[in-house]
Amino acid sequence: MISTKDLTKKFGDLTAVDHLSLSVKEGELLCLLGANGAGKSTTINMLLNFVAPTSGSATINGLDATRHPIKTKEFITYIPENLMLYPMLTAIENLDYFSGITGRQLAQSSLTGFLEEAGLQKDAFHKRISTFSKGMRQKVGIAIALAKDTKVLLLDEPTSGLDPKASNEFGNLLQKLRGKGVAILMATHDLFRAKVVATHIGIMKDGKLVQQFVADDISLPQLEKTYLETMNYKEVLS
Amino acid sequence: MLRYNFIYELRILLRSRWIQLLSLLLLLLFGFSAFNGKEKVEKRKVDIAAAKQEVLDTDQSMLKLLDSVERGMAVSASPWTIPTSPMAVANYYPRVVAMDPQPMAFVSTGQADIFTHYVKPTATGDDFALNFTEMTSPVQLLFGSFDLAFVIVYLLPLLIIAFSYNVLSSEKESGSLRLLASQPISIRKWVFQKLILRFFWLSVLVVTTLVLVILIVGIQPLEWSKVFGLLGLALSYMLFWFSLAFLVNLYVGSSAKNAVSLLGLWVVFVLLVPSVLNQLAGTLYPMPSRTLMINEMRERKVEATKRQDEILDNFLRDHPEYAINDSTQTRSFYHNYMASQKVVKEELAPIVNAYETQLKKQQSWSRQLQWTSPAIVVQESLNNLSGTSTADYENYRRQVIAFSESWREHFMSFLYNNTLFKSEDHTNLPQFQYHALGQSGVPKAILILLAMALVLLGLGFAVQGATRQKGILAD
Repeated sequence: MISTKDLTKKFGDLTAVDHLSLSVKEGELLCLLGANGAGKSTTINMLLNFVAPTSGSATINGLDATRHPIKTKEFITYIPENLMLYPMLTAIENLDYFSGITGRQLAQSSLTGFLEEAGLQKDAFHKRISTFSKGMRQKVGIAIALAKDTKVLLLDEPTSGLDPKASNEFGNLLQKLRGKGVAILMATHDLFRAKVVATHIGIMKDGKLVQQFVADDISLPQLEKTYLETMNYKEVLS
Repeated sequence: MLRYNFIYELRILLRSRWIQLLSLLLLLLFGFSAFNGKEKVEKRKVDIAAAKQEVLDTDQSMLKLLDSVERGMAVSASPWTIPTSPMAVANYYPRVVAMDPQPMAFVSTGQADIFTHYVKPTATGDDFALNFTEMTSPVQLLFGSFDLAFVIVYLLPLLIIAFSYNVLSSEKESGSLRLLASQPISIRKWVFQKLILRFFWLSVLVVTTLVLVILIVGIQPLEWSKVFGLLGLALSYMLFWFSLAFLVNLYVGSSAKNAVSLLGLWVVFVLLVPSVLNQLAGTLYPMPSRTLMINEMRERKVEATKRQDEILDNFLRDHPEYAINDSTQTRSFYHNYMASQKVVKEELAPIVNAYETQLKKQQSWSRQLQWTSPAIVVQESLNNLSGTSTADYENYRRQVIAFSESWREHFMSFLYNNTLFKSEDHTNLPQFQYHALGQSGVPKAILILLAMALVLLGLGFAVQGATRQKGILAD
């Protein structure tokens, strides 16, 4: 579903993503780990055609994301670190709006059904987004993905700033989506959450994918050690 | 997408109180300016009515005086003011030559605060020296009048700028653009729809408040075809500004930059271009000095006085119908004066024509370049619609001159045939009826504004292909 081949992005002299090749199939969840500036978010931005690649290709469901940005976005749901919705509208109105502008007219019962499935409390459905916490906004984002019957979920630091309970709930939602065959690419700093939810884990450094594992083949302490070694954090290791 | 944008845009505008605020502002601005305009028109009407009443009163006293003289009674009036003398009637009992306000005059003051609306031409007065200008407060001339045209041309674009400058940038700055841009929609089309919807809602408010205000202020008589012309002009002018906002939203960036850019364009289109065009028109086609013209006129009059016998002889030779009784009658001051006045007028014709030619050239030059600023197009059209444009006052001036001529000619036959003015001649005195210019040019102005808006919208969409490869958030 998600595939990149020699994907490269340069900003002047800086190479943000360097010949990146990866693949995420249906029902898989690839967590990209890496320090700030490693190229995780830039990769996601290229998959969304927010920025165009310097070279290489990024495909979604077999379609080139740069050449067919509108078509590929039909399969994608994107949840950034800070999901910003329309504060003047309620949760159900936001869901209705984002579904409606992409051509999906949903009945009220379907809208409430998706919000419920995303784990939002019923009493919040008709409250304005301006009163929502970050975790509640993320749930509305998941409801948008469910309503869209999304094939690809791109997540950029979705659990940063969430309390453990909200983070855990979010992880469970991802497992549910994975179970429905959604291909998920998640950029994160959260090693624990990555180990818990991912099927595959990759470590990026200086724009390159330097390590890649099947999540079940590595324990959390091993993952932490490998990550720190890869990042060359000697003082932490000693 | 349009349906959902339509529903939720209205909901957001209502919840953020934009609609309520705009309705209140428009009601206040349109209400005050329409009331202001109506007051000015009422004052004009009262002034003209008072002048006409004064003529009626003096006519009554003239008829009483004539009646007394005709019955052989002694009258206590200076001999030269007794109306049996035709020149006394021609000079002391003039008609009111008034430019009646048009039904839409309340919309735009135009040239109304510079020029007078009635004159009383006499037989011995000079047409070209008639004073058409009125004493006006220089402070008012500096700031202009707070009329509907001022609100539409100057203030409405500022409201549009406040209403549209950050349609895209606010999404960027709040972070919601990332979610929006990840949807399978064209952001350009989305921005276009948002602005068109805002244009639609503002249009609804403008039309409703304008019609309400016109009805509440009680404009009479109301010409609906012209009201539709006014609405058409206002809406197409608004579309121009929304189209400009569309381009700025797409190509400029942050909200602050957008606001500064749009305000800069407002200064250019509304203040700078009209002022520069006006200055250039004056420089390219300078008007001859009025002082020089009056000096020239005085010199010609002095010369004419010196050779008045010769002029009168020539005049009578050219007008044998007046010369028939020549041998039997005596000649007075007025016989000489009227003959020489005609000669002076003929001699001054080239100077007066030069003034009119330059004025026409200035107007034609400004008309040809009006498309450089939509503000000029709208202001000119609103002036035309209101009957207060330069062309309207020029039309009035021409009619005054024509009436003065007919007034003079009417008494020339009395004078040179040495006929006395009688009571029954009163009903045959020439009467003036103002004829307004027929065409307002509103449809042409609307077409020009729509063409401008289409060019801007076209520019917004034309560059789409070139920027697509960069990615939508590349900047």
